[in-house]
Amino acid sequence: MSASLFYLALLGYLAATALALTYLIQRHEGIYRFAALATQAGWILHTLSLVVRGVELSRPPLGTFQEAISVLVWAAVLLELWSERQFGVKVLSAFVLPVAFIFGLSTVTLPEGIRDLNPALRSAWVSVHVILALIGIAAFVLNFAGALMYLLQERQLKSKRQGTFYYRLPSLETLDRMTSRTLTLGFPFLTLGLILGIVWAGSIWGTVLRWDPLVLFSFLAWVVYAATLSGRAVAGWRGRRAAYFAILGFMALLLTLGAGLFLPGRHGGL
Amino acid sequence: MELFVAGLSHKTAPIGVREQLAVEEDKLREVIGAIHAEGIFSELMILSTCNRVEVYGVAEVPGEARALAFRHLCRQRGADPASLEPLVYTKSETEAVQHCFRVASSLDSMILGEPQILGQLKEAFALARSCQTVGPVLHAVMTRAFAVAKKVRTETGVARHAVSVSFAAIELARKIFGSLDGKAVLLIGTGKMGELAAKHLVEQGAFPIYVTNRTWSAAQELARAMAGTAVPFEEHLATLAQVDIVISSTGAPEPIVRREDVQRALHARRSRPLFFIDIAVPRDVEPAVNDLENVFCYDIDDLRQVVEANIRERLREAQKAEALVEREVGKWAARLQDLEVVPTIVSLREKLETIRQGEVARALSRIPDAPPETRAAIEALSQSIVNKILHVPIVKLRESSRSGHGRRVTELVSDLFGLSRNGNPEGDDE
Repeated sequence: MSASLFYLALLGYLAATALALTYLIQRHEGIYRFAALATQAGWILHTLSLVVRGVELSRPPLGTFQEAISVLVWAAVLLELWSERQFGVKVLSAFVLPVAFIFGLSTVTLPEGIRDLNPALRSAWVSVHVILALIGIAAFVLNFAGALMYLLQERQLKSKRQGTFYYRLPSLETLDRMTSRTLTLGFPFLTLGLILGIVWAGSIWGTVLRWDPLVLFSFLAWVVYAATLSGRAVAGWRGRRAAYFAILGFMALLLTLGAGLFLPGRHGGL
Repeated sequence: MELFVAGLSHKTAPIGVREQLAVEEDKLREVIGAIHAEGIFSELMILSTCNRVEVYGVAEVPGEARALAFRHLCRQRGADPASLEPLVYTKSETEAVQHCFRVASSLDSMILGEPQILGQLKEAFALARSCQTVGPVLHAVMTRAFAVAKKVRTETGVARHAVSVSFAAIELARKIFGSLDGKAVLLIGTGKMGELAAKHLVEQGAFPIYVTNRTWSAAQELARAMAGTAVPFEEHLATLAQVDIVISSTGAPEPIVRREDVQRALHARRSRPLFFIDIAVPRDVEPAVNDLENVFCYDIDDLRQVVEANIRERLREAQKAEALVEREVGKWAARLQDLEVVPTIVSLREKLETIRQGEVARALSRIPDAPPETRAAIEALSQSIVNKILHVPIVKLRESSRSGHGRRVTELVSDLFGLSRNGNPEGDDE
């Protein structure tokens, strides 16, 4: 039941992705309305699938890595719907939904069960650790999209060639504000999530640090984001430099998720 | 009665002809009055701008009405109506509606998407109304045209992007800074174009404005006019640290802002963006300035290129706008078809129903003691006769409207059954 709901949600996201990309090129308000509808429909189906799965398993749907990524997609789409209104950037979905859809698709293409969480890790504390980290990462998906849009628009303005992106993308100021806001939103969540993870690891294994690729990459991402945040606050970084760092941080997060899915470590046993 | 539009525009007639017909507002009132007084037009409106002179009218014989209107218009400046004849286009009914929608939406304008035409059309409509020459047809067409124009403006980008150099510069500034509220501007030199661009920036909320010039008195004078601050010419490089937008239009033979100057200013700016609008020839700002991080430098050729790109973008959007107008005209025609035959069907029904009721009442009064079953039978008989008679004419009326002959057939039916024009039965039955 929860699986078929999730497939329907993915279908909604796929339709929304296609429509959002069409809107980016065509800029037809009717297409935008359909894209927004498809996104909302997909998100509602996704919510239902998570609830049903939680009821079916009688535990929060955070027990496997696939489940965690599904929740991540859910949070990212919710944030996307919110920021689209908050910053008035209608083309945002064209940059966020493809990422969300690919993430969502990755969870169903992987065989079920191989990434079950170590039963020792099933506790409320671990759920909180996962939720905090996922909210942080969802904000960084938006951060990445904002940075990418910034770099595209900046290129258009610098090269003085007015193409599709010049007309479709909002001002550099708006994009920089969006990148900055999503960074300040995501960073505390990521930080708290990591701290909880460290504390929990210390209490259960007695050691905090051990060779674990996921932990390594997530700390790398944290360092990049911490550097960007202090650069923005102290040295007045903005624009292109901040955007490059946002993309670097997101690459580290991708490696983190990839490590969780494919490499052995404390987060999932092979 | 037929709706038509007849006129000439920048597409059909050279300025020499258009200026002979253009009429200012006061005169227009007289002309409309004079034409309407001849009693040929049942509704009349005249649009007169520098790019078009058009007569919108409803008349029994459009050809005659059109000739009359142009005779009056030509009389103003002594033009020869016969020489105009080949330049004048005439469109009627649905085509006239389509033309009107396109004009209102600025799709027929010389500069595609320019906003003035809608205002001019509204003024022409208001003038005609004050002359009391607007009836139900023009009222419906024009209010619909205004709504369609608004829809075109909001749903397509046909009017979205700047098509003049100074507005293109403002638009670029908005692409960089978002809102221009509180953005500081430095104006170097007192050239007209620079002043114009600075004025646009001030309208968008830019503040404060610094003005500098080699001649101190000229700087002071312009600063006063723009409610800005004059800065001595030697200090203009120091100002770079404080301003967001620099407009330069001096006659200097060599660049007056060099890459090193800007680079020095950048440290103090904490990477806030800086936008140079260089409209001077030869250029005032070294092009290499554009390579610096968070600095954007556009010269006059760059700005012209933006304008060209904007025009291409408007043309692309115009296709969407044309499709939108087409849909609206379709809706209009469909509604019009119904409007055309429905009143006739209603009044035909009413007429026969009145006759039926009258005759039944008369028959029943002759047999006062008829039992209820007999009364009911007579009632039913009369109703079924009326329905049978009405069936074929109603079907034919509907068909005629769909095949475009609605007007002819409704007129015929109205004549045959003595129905009045406005749809109500004419006179009493017998």
